[in-house]
Amino acid sequence: VKAFPTQEIGSLPKFGWRTKPFRQMALTDDDLETAKQWGDILQVEGRGDLYRLLSKRYSFSDEEKKTIVDFSLLYAIRMCETAGQGLAKEPGLDLVWSGEQARTEMYETAVSNIAGFEFVGKVRSFDNKYWRMASIRSAPKYKENYHLEELVFTEREAERKVKVPVTDAITIMAWSDNNYYTGKWAKKAGLPPSKRSFSARREFTLELAKIIRRVIRELIENGVEEVQIDIPAATQYQSEDDIKLVAESFNETTKGLDATFSVHSCFPPSLGYGILFPHLLEMKKCERFSLEYGNRDTFETGLDAKSRVGFEDLKLFKQYGYKKQLGVGVIHIHSDTLPSVEVVRDRVLYSAKVTDLPPENLYVNPDCGLRTRRPEIAQKMLDLVVGGAELARLRSG
Amino acid sequence: LELTEYKVSLTGLHARNEKTIQATQDWERSRIDEATLKETFHKDCDSLVELQRRVGAEYVTDGQITLAWQDLFRPISAGFQGLEPGPMVRWFNTNTFFYMPIVKGAISSDGKALARAIEKRFVNHGSSLKIILPDPLTFVELAEDRHYGSKEKLLFAYTDALRGELRALSSLGVKYVQFSAPSLVYRLKQKPFSRAGLKQLGEAVRNALKGVSLKSGFYPFFGDASPYLPELFDFIPTDDIGLDLTQTDDSALSATGKGVIAGIVDSRTTYLEDVASLASRVEGVVDRTGTKTVTLAPSADLRYIPRTSADEKLEVLGRLRATLRKGSDSPRVKATRRRRAK
Repeated sequence: VKAFPTQEIGSLPKFGWRTKPFRQMALTDDDLETAKQWGDILQVEGRGDLYRLLSKRYSFSDEEKKTIVDFSLLYAIRMCETAGQGLAKEPGLDLVWSGEQARTEMYETAVSNIAGFEFVGKVRSFDNKYWRMASIRSAPKYKENYHLEELVFTEREAERKVKVPVTDAITIMAWSDNNYYTGKWAKKAGLPPSKRSFSARREFTLELAKIIRRVIRELIENGVEEVQIDIPAATQYQSEDDIKLVAESFNETTKGLDATFSVHSCFPPSLGYGILFPHLLEMKKCERFSLEYGNRDTFETGLDAKSRVGFEDLKLFKQYGYKKQLGVGVIHIHSDTLPSVEVVRDRVLYSAKVTDLPPENLYVNPDCGLRTRRPEIAQKMLDLVVGGAELARLRSG
Repeated sequence: LELTEYKVSLTGLHARNEKTIQATQDWERSRIDEATLKETFHKDCDSLVELQRRVGAEYVTDGQITLAWQDLFRPISAGFQGLEPGPMVRWFNTNTFFYMPIVKGAISSDGKALARAIEKRFVNHGSSLKIILPDPLTFVELAEDRHYGSKEKLLFAYTDALRGELRALSSLGVKYVQFSAPSLVYRLKQKPFSRAGLKQLGEAVRNALKGVSLKSGFYPFFGDASPYLPELFDFIPTDDIGLDLTQTDDSALSATGKGVIAGIVDSRTTYLEDVASLASRVEGVVDRTGTKTVTLAPSADLRYIPRTSADEKLEVLGRLRATLRKGSDSPRVKATRRRRAK
């Protein structure tokens, strides 16, 4: 069993040649050159077909657009499988995915394919980053499986083990406008305001969980063995009831399903992940929590608490006697400033030290998906994950 | 009830409109230049100010939507000496994030950091300009202190620096400052703030306002303020005190001579509330407090829903104000009037 296995978290950046055909924009020389340059770097098989197709530059048919998406999936898979080249003796992530290249984005794809939602406009998340908010206007209903096609493709093409990320019910609820259930619960008299709004959140979440369970069941039926439940909003609503709901939603989603489940979350409030304990551990089928830590850490090497301040929260797992797996985020994903590979190594080693978990239970990953970075930065980040894990492996013997 | 004055006001950062959103993304990708981006922001601010005037706002904000206000702390964390923006952290129970202020040295300012962040053309231009800032407690609780080693010292260092900024804003012609205080009422897994702590917070706010000729408000939102009543009104030395009525149990309210900021429309959903029900709730607040001034407001910033919906919420406040002023749509007003007449 390998010590400090590596994984990605989900998304990778999209190339201009992947996005422009869907925006009715003509491809430029630069787009074509990028396709060639990265195709060569990643040694993508059949890339000549892609170059020929892209040379058309505009007016792609639906079938041609599908081919472009498929190549985009392939580029992402190969980026995962070759990460660390030049930095590590054993390149490649141990768990891979196709970079969510077939998805608009982790939230938008889900709500576009569940009945009852209506897009209402963009909302700012931070700085100049926004998400397209959907409003729930009637009870949500399953429309179609929005991950099946990309899963089948990825399973067929990937040479490493596949882990499929699926956005959970809490996140869809939290990032949506809860118009329908707010209105429904507003009419119920006799409840204090905070109880009314929680009830609206809970009902919405559990309805969504049933739909997502069906989506995952169909993925499992098509061969996937590992599913990452993405709950970036796990720390959004922070009352005791809401934290319990995070676990309840996970259990409801995975009820009756047979696969390896992990959970990803990130960017908690200043209180840290502590707010999730102990209810987080009520997610009975979760084998691994993959969380963001690099964002809050220093760029100094060292295995002391001061150098590794960003990883303090990991102590919680030891305090609560957690023995399963953890995925530690070692690279902040919202900045192009990169740590050295030695700093990444120390982040990994410190994580092992404070959690007391065996190295094979400690996965190494970026803090979150890399979709907001440029491809060359995303690749460097994955290189650091693989390189840092290998150095940690060597150091720990 | 006839004597109560009803105003409308925004209480936080507003949503950017779709054109501005596109412009910020285009600017980041170098598709437009900074002048074009600024022009887009100008138009956006203009339309928001116009809407505030239309719904009867006495104090208008410029929306605090420009790049200077990427988060509520930014002009402070990037503009004050001794501070710098740190890691990205979730802003309370929202899907928005801020850069944690890192206190690296003694806090001071040149007195112009906030003036640089506001749209000065709205000063003395037919409206009174309001600015919204993090209150001292929220700053202390959310900042990472690497210098003072004491929350009390940090509290007063922040307000010392703020005082110079507020004086400068006052000289410019800004008329109102609101301190946004979510940390007071959003205290999950933390001890409730003590009475002594609230008193000290009041002193810190007083320190910020010393010699400052601005009207002021203090608005704790994202939580129930009832555990702090009536001391909140007694200890915090601002003209108005805010209540997030989507969270607060208002049965605990008692008489006050201060103005009340009534955070009555839910800023977290596009669901449009029934104006008559809102009016009835506000009248309940007036009954309990006897306040002469009620500022009708969103429960928090209107940046958590898209701009169109945010503006609709503002229009609901305008209709609510009209309803309350007329009193004609509310059976409660009629009943109270009858009772008072007797």
